[in-house]
Amino acid sequence: MYPHQVHDYLQKFFKENNCEIVHGNEHYMTVQLTVDMDKKIMNRPFHWQYIENTNGIPDPVQLTLITDQTKLSKNMKGEVVHFGSPRLNQLFQTTNKLGAYVQMYERVSNNLETRPILTPWLGVNYKVSYYCDRTKEMLYSLGINLMTGEVINSFQESLVTKELDAQKSERAFLLPYIIKPLRALDRLDAVIENIIQQEDHAWAEEAKSRWQKDQAILEHFYEGVEDKPECYEMEKRAMEEQYEARIKIDVVNGGLFYMK
Amino acid sequence: MIIERSSDWKEGFINKLENQEPWDNWTLYNMSYEVVKANLIEEFSGLQSPKYLPNLTPLAHQLEVAETVISRMNGKAILADEVGLGKTIEAGLILKEYLIRGLVKKVLILAPASLINQWVEELHYKFYIPAIAFKKNTPIDYYDVVVMSMDTAKKSPHKELIYAQNYDMIIIDEAHKLKNHKTKIYEFVQGLKKKFCLLLTATPVQNNVFELFYLISLLKPGHLGNYETFQSSFSASKHSLEHDEYLRELVNQVMVRNRREETGIEWTSRRVQTIPIEFTKEEREVYELILELKNVSSVFSGAFSMITLQKEMCSSKEATYLTLTKMRQNCTTQAEIDFVDGIIQKLMALETNSKAEKAYEIISEANDKVIIFTEYKASQVYLQWYLNSKGITSVPFNGQFNKSKREYMKHLFKEKFQVLIATESGGEGINLQFCHHVINYDLPWNPMKLEQRIGRVHRLGQEHDVHIYNLAIENTIEKDILELLYVKLDVFEKVVGELDDILSTLKKTI
Repeated sequence: MYPHQVHDYLQKFFKENNCEIVHGNEHYMTVQLTVDMDKKIMNRPFHWQYIENTNGIPDPVQLTLITDQTKLSKNMKGEVVHFGSPRLNQLFQTTNKLGAYVQMYERVSNNLETRPILTPWLGVNYKVSYYCDRTKEMLYSLGINLMTGEVINSFQESLVTKELDAQKSERAFLLPYIIKPLRALDRLDAVIENIIQQEDHAWAEEAKSRWQKDQAILEHFYEGVEDKPECYEMEKRAMEEQYEARIKIDVVNGGLFYMK
Repeated sequence: MIIERSSDWKEGFINKLENQEPWDNWTLYNMSYEVVKANLIEEFSGLQSPKYLPNLTPLAHQLEVAETVISRMNGKAILADEVGLGKTIEAGLILKEYLIRGLVKKVLILAPASLINQWVEELHYKFYIPAIAFKKNTPIDYYDVVVMSMDTAKKSPHKELIYAQNYDMIIIDEAHKLKNHKTKIYEFVQGLKKKFCLLLTATPVQNNVFELFYLISLLKPGHLGNYETFQSSFSASKHSLEHDEYLRELVNQVMVRNRREETGIEWTSRRVQTIPIEFTKEEREVYELILELKNVSSVFSGAFSMITLQKEMCSSKEATYLTLTKMRQNCTTQAEIDFVDGIIQKLMALETNSKAEKAYEIISEANDKVIIFTEYKASQVYLQWYLNSKGITSVPFNGQFNKSKREYMKHLFKEKFQVLIATESGGEGINLQFCHHVINYDLPWNPMKLEQRIGRVHRLGQEHDVHIYNLAIENTIEKDILELLYVKLDVFEKVVGELDDILSTLKKTI
């Protein structure tokens, strides 16, 4: 992420969370946090506990964030935010928490004679991580039609081309779902496992052979030792943790979508 | 294959559905997806960490080390770059990479006490890794990245506390302190679980090849075989190495080492001179008398005390005097006492110190900032007095100084005084790139100590050629020390690789 991308991100993030940008330019911004956002990102629970218990006047922080120090005067005071900085990571996590579940409706035009019918979908974005002594991650966006059970890939990408609203239009008619969302979620979970099983898992084999090689070296060291010391077991455990192949499936976010 | 999944999202989803909780913001939903996509680690290999560290510009060799350690050594390695090439940066890059990839969460860093704050600061400011320095009663269960001194770690109750943690990565700075497998610290590290492990040392071999064997056996037991096989194949005698090539290759599988000249950076060069000094007639007489001591009294028959006295006589009469008077107390017969008193009398009557005069000569000629390393505190005090009498200002420097005193002395040296006189223990963790003259007033037995000393000034940021003066008095024990230093350097170069100049290349002529 380049400085201007970080800047756009922050701007969007604070706007969506109703935090006013008091002043700023393309390289910095001073933001008035809301009480809610202060509690989320300023990490001062005791302060808020105190204010609330004493009926004090809430005093959310005004934060100055600098996205490109090189373009500003040296005297400019504020927190420098860049890709990799702890503050940005924290905002990423906050975004993830605040954008985990949605229910959206595709926009319908008002001038049609018939009432447009919207079909329910469940969309889930999965992050799949492969772990051994190395890592690799993949992102899958799946959608399942709650009427027919049809599953499609790249669901998120298909949504971007559509106009969606959080409120249902008065005129739209919603089909009731046949497959319950939780059942559909189970199905998608099964689909993702299936996808994983189709993948090439040479990486796990390679990790295993690295493991075996190290194991052989260790055995060689203790060859002929009758009572192996505790550190022998320790080394073995460490290798297991280091090389054992694991796959982790995380849901990034998901929701219900009513689509034409 | 183990597949892990969390039910957190599902539970939240049920809440939204059943309790009619408000749904989240669509824009944030999309932003969240985009962030995950942008941060996705798409390849097993390659480094992610540099893009998270826009303010750090690692050097090419540092990136290469990080990549080699992760992809070829599976995260267990000895980082053995020459002093001053940035081993801490390399370790930081590797650690950051594993943190980003989620392979490491809890980290223990062991470093000499004097370097703890430096570690914490570098990790904090250069790598955005929130490390904390261990203090008495720090609850280490609550902190993910802890920096501690080896001396603290190996003692109860810290030892037990550490063993109770499940560390994913262990980093040990100045790892040559683990060369002796009979020490408590070695035993302690051996008992640690080492999933990922980095040992940092510029000097993996100091005296003999077994040190390397024990260091590697700590990292990866069995890599060099067990003790018996190693001994039979690699050491007919301590210093002759039959399978140099083979051993070197094995070593290179777990050790990365960059030399200054391989880094592609323009380094200023080292100009090393060994400066022979002649004792005055009076000094020589006292030196000979000291050699006589072992024939006169059993108090002086021990080899160690004799060697100490000889070395001290090569340093200053002040240093010699202290040891001599201490040993005099053990003498019983009048003849012994008289002989010793005779020496002390002659010793105290000495008016010149040939070596100190030489040092003064070098300092005046350099007409610039100079660091003097001596092995003895008494010599340190004497040199300060002597130089002062010649109108040259100096500050002392010891390893025992606390952090603020170190900083203050360094500051004084940089801003005001011409000479810094350091004892051996002042050698680690102080960076003095603004100076480029080093006098090794006394020679240590261990060549790597010389390398550590030179490394204080010959490191990144040095703009001048570095002048090193090794002072050695002719026809004394210092000549033997020089010879042994060459032998040890030879072992190092055979097993580990070339070294930048420590002793002058004219070595064979001495």
